[in-house]
Amino acid sequence: MNPIAAVGRMFLSVSDTVGGITLTLARILRAASRLRFDRDETWLNLYKVGVKSYPIVIMTAIFTGAIMVIQSGQYVKQTGATGLLGWGAGYAVLAEVGPVLIGLMFSGRVGANNTAELGTMKVTEQIDALRALAIDPMQHLVVPRFLAMVVMLLLLTALGDLFALVGGALTSQFILDVDWRVFFNGVFNSQLLDEYLVGLTKGVTFGASISVVSCFYGLGVSGGAAGVGRAVNNCVVTSAIGIFVWDYIITYLAN
Amino acid sequence: MRDDPMAHALPWLKPALGRLPEKPVVLRVSGLTKWFGDVCVLDRVDFEMREGEVVGLIGPGGAGKTVFVKICCGLMDPDGGQIEILGENLLELKEKQRQRLRERIGLVFQNYALFDFMTVGDNVAFPMKQRGGATLAEIEAKVQERLTEVDLPKVRHLMPNELSGGMKKRVGLARANINDPELIFFDDPTAGLDPVTSSKIFNLIRKTQAHRNSTCLVISHDIDRMRPACDRYILLYEARVHFAGTEAEAMAATDPIVREFFRKEAGLK
Repeated sequence: MNPIAAVGRMFLSVSDTVGGITLTLARILRAASRLRFDRDETWLNLYKVGVKSYPIVIMTAIFTGAIMVIQSGQYVKQTGATGLLGWGAGYAVLAEVGPVLIGLMFSGRVGANNTAELGTMKVTEQIDALRALAIDPMQHLVVPRFLAMVVMLLLLTALGDLFALVGGALTSQFILDVDWRVFFNGVFNSQLLDEYLVGLTKGVTFGASISVVSCFYGLGVSGGAAGVGRAVNNCVVTSAIGIFVWDYIITYLAN
Repeated sequence: MRDDPMAHALPWLKPALGRLPEKPVVLRVSGLTKWFGDVCVLDRVDFEMREGEVVGLIGPGGAGKTVFVKICCGLMDPDGGQIEILGENLLELKEKQRQRLRERIGLVFQNYALFDFMTVGDNVAFPMKQRGGATLAEIEAKVQERLTEVDLPKVRHLMPNELSGGMKKRVGLARANINDPELIFFDDPTAGLDPVTSSKIFNLIRKTQAHRNSTCLVISHDIDRMRPACDRYILLYEARVHFAGTEAEAMAATDPIVREFFRKEAGLK
């Protein structure tokens, strides 16, 4: 294949995807601004997206906090600077690793599920049926999912931060023999509020990004079951890329 | 097929009947054209339906029948032509206006398109709930009425995947009828069904149409069984309207394609 043609084709494909995602976002915001979205569907999605994700987020967060403490543990032990343990783990978890890992878990669990659900509705003509019944799929299906993912990823990030610190404190107590109070003193004395807020901002942004990407791929499915599979695959990959791109942008702006 | 009132009128009565005002046009399509890539699916299709008519839309597979219906419902845009539906120029309407127009139209999908995450009762109630203006008790009563009409009074708590194909079709019919639409499209309502269930579905279409004086367009290949339901037929062939008329006109036609469709389906050699 001609390499220039291949690059051109890839550029067109990326432009097509980015343009489609941007248009989907614009349509979601326009539909949401009318404040006429389906409230029952929103509650249902808040439950499906949020409540059912708690266990996996808590697990991820506990291990993330624990790993951060183990990573920095040997240097802390060598230098005896145990007060820095809370700062190090807190800084990494609150601003960076926590939101990113929770976002990735969320995109795998919720984003992929959302694409599969909307995609299946598309290929079985349920989306057309909604339109034929004079119901706007944007207001009925997409806006509730968007709101649920944004709100719930914010809350899950806040919850994840808490459990990551608990995981870090337990690890410092039982693995490194550093008292958990010393760990928490390190966290709270380090004035990590800014990092905490940056982390929450990332949670909101990742939630919006994952929801828009998953709805874009779900509503664009064609070609039956194989098409749904491809869309889910594309959703997971694009969501992960989106998380890292937004992480970079927010980190850059916050520093 | 329903009799044409003019056909049996006494000779002296015909001129008087002829002067009666014709029923209003519910759907008028002119020059409708649709392309998918290089393939022309609809080529300058002209068509008209009047209030209270039941028209059978027939044609070979891939003739563009489903595309035609989706375009008429505003679910797909044509590449050319005009569509006047229930007094509105469909192609000039914005999505919000189309949505309001769709409240007056019903569509029964070929593949049921029931919402698989809702019970049968919720599926049927859904359009009415979304439309608003009715109490929960009114909605419940109407859902029960519609399900009873389609001979499914006891399935409201089941999920769609617990129903047979024929039952799903009938639930789709109940859902399409819940808001008393003026115009209903049936996209192959008997596809994949046994002859007995097919006959039941067509009888049901005729019964509900007669009860509410709605206008119906029925896509089917099963001319033999759709006969009791339809007033006249449109044959789509190679993307164009090849024939439009009553069954008697079709049977008398000399065109080999029309003869093949109608006479073969009617079991005549």
